[in-house]
Amino acid sequence: MDLTGGFGARYDGGQEATGLESLHLGDELRQLPPDGFTALLELPPTQALKLLHFTDSPSSSPQAAPIAPPSFASNLALMERPARFSTEHQQNGTNLSGETTTSSSVKTEPAETNSSSQAVNNRSGKRKDSDNKPKSSTKKKNKSSEEKEKLPYVHVRARRGQATDSHSLAERARREKINARMKLLQELVPGCDKVCLSDTKIQGTALVLDEIINHVQSLQRQVEMLSMRLASVNPRIDFNLDTILASENGSLMDGSFNCTAMQVSWPHQVIETEQPYHQHRQLQQPQQWPFDVLNQRAWGREEDQDHGNDHNSLMVGSANLHPNQVKMEL
Amino acid sequence: MASADKPINTDVPEKDVFALHFLQSLSNLRRQNAFNSPDDTTNNRVKKIKKAAYVSMARAAGGTNRLWSRALLRRAAKENNKVVIFSRRKKRVTWLRRSNRRDPVDAERLRNLLPGGGAMETSKLMEETAHYIKCLSMQVKVMQCLVDGLSAK
Repeated sequence: MDLTGGFGARYDGGQEATGLESLHLGDELRQLPPDGFTALLELPPTQALKLLHFTDSPSSSPQAAPIAPPSFASNLALMERPARFSTEHQQNGTNLSGETTTSSSVKTEPAETNSSSQAVNNRSGKRKDSDNKPKSSTKKKNKSSEEKEKLPYVHVRARRGQATDSHSLAERARREKINARMKLLQELVPGCDKVCLSDTKIQGTALVLDEIINHVQSLQRQVEMLSMRLASVNPRIDFNLDTILASENGSLMDGSFNCTAMQVSWPHQVIETEQPYHQHRQLQQPQQWPFDVLNQRAWGREEDQDHGNDHNSLMVGSANLHPNQVKMEL
Repeated sequence: MASADKPINTDVPEKDVFALHFLQSLSNLRRQNAFNSPDDTTNNRVKKIKKAAYVSMARAAGGTNRLWSRALLRRAAKENNKVVIFSRRKKRVTWLRRSNRRDPVDAERLRNLLPGGGAMETSKLMEETAHYIKCLSMQVKVMQCLVDGLSAK
């Protein structure tokens, strides 16, 4: 009874239930005639009952915490050592916090996963963090995504039932990368979603690849076709470049395309002929131009040869206008 | 070993950049006397225009920042017996990965399609393909506009 009281005192308040039960049983036992033998047996049975309660309770209630501490403390110590080593390696406090959170979550897990994760953590020379979790919680995922953002290295979390050696981890990371890019490509290629809509968002990679390859080939064929058309169209117009641009301006201005922001800048451009080349420069986006100097000379040369001053200004204006037009319409 | 590259950047400049580059290359072509004279066969002209289109696209899209544009420009320069000068901002080591790392996803056809695709890793290949597709579609649009503008006259 004293022992039961003693036992009861060791637990938290939640243990009072078992304490009361044990007292109850102890009362029951006290009703037995206190024989010498049974007197000896009194205490052991109560202790045995206590122990029975002990073995029952850990599975059901959080009263297991008091029992767990001795073994858990050792586990925690073991967990913290590789954590400290890995922090030495990585010189990053977030890793330690990650480790401690994982260790705290490991509290209620069996010891085998602890040891296996320890073994993996010891291999932190590969700079990858992996933990075996019974279930993947969103909190963990947030943490891992945080770590991904902070650190330059990818932290891979191994899911249940997957191998945790470094090679497969690297493979998995690589595969995830490839899958992410495949998704990106899928969105880019029109009609890729309809390849196999019923199954999943990410369809079979072979089909998607075929779709992508078809698209690229079709685009290349389109370029070739258009270049053929351009080649056939070009010699018909054997004026110089300026008239071509002027004609393009005219045709483009005819509204074959919807231009919502169509400014009437013809006269504006024509007036400003003092510094046409500067205009030209300002209109475009700043990029390195290999042809820049050549172009200016070419334009000047061609204008001097063919047209007078009025035409000169017009052509220059048209030349300046053309990229602007293109900008508006396209 | 693996790098966390959360934002995959496949931005492509505006259409007018492409238009500008293509028109500049076309104007350069016109200045060649051999181009305008009628004794130049159509096939040659087509080839020249096509090459000009690709080169201008490569220059407009990424310059030397993209692997495919770099390979394209190098190939074009080799055909003209010119030398391309690349400004290297950071040291770039291209490994020819012929290891077994390509097992799960075999993208050989894609590699053959994409300029410079033979020396890339699969994930990099995908990224370059996405950018290449965007640039190609932009170039197609520009050329379509040009052709429509010229032929509607």
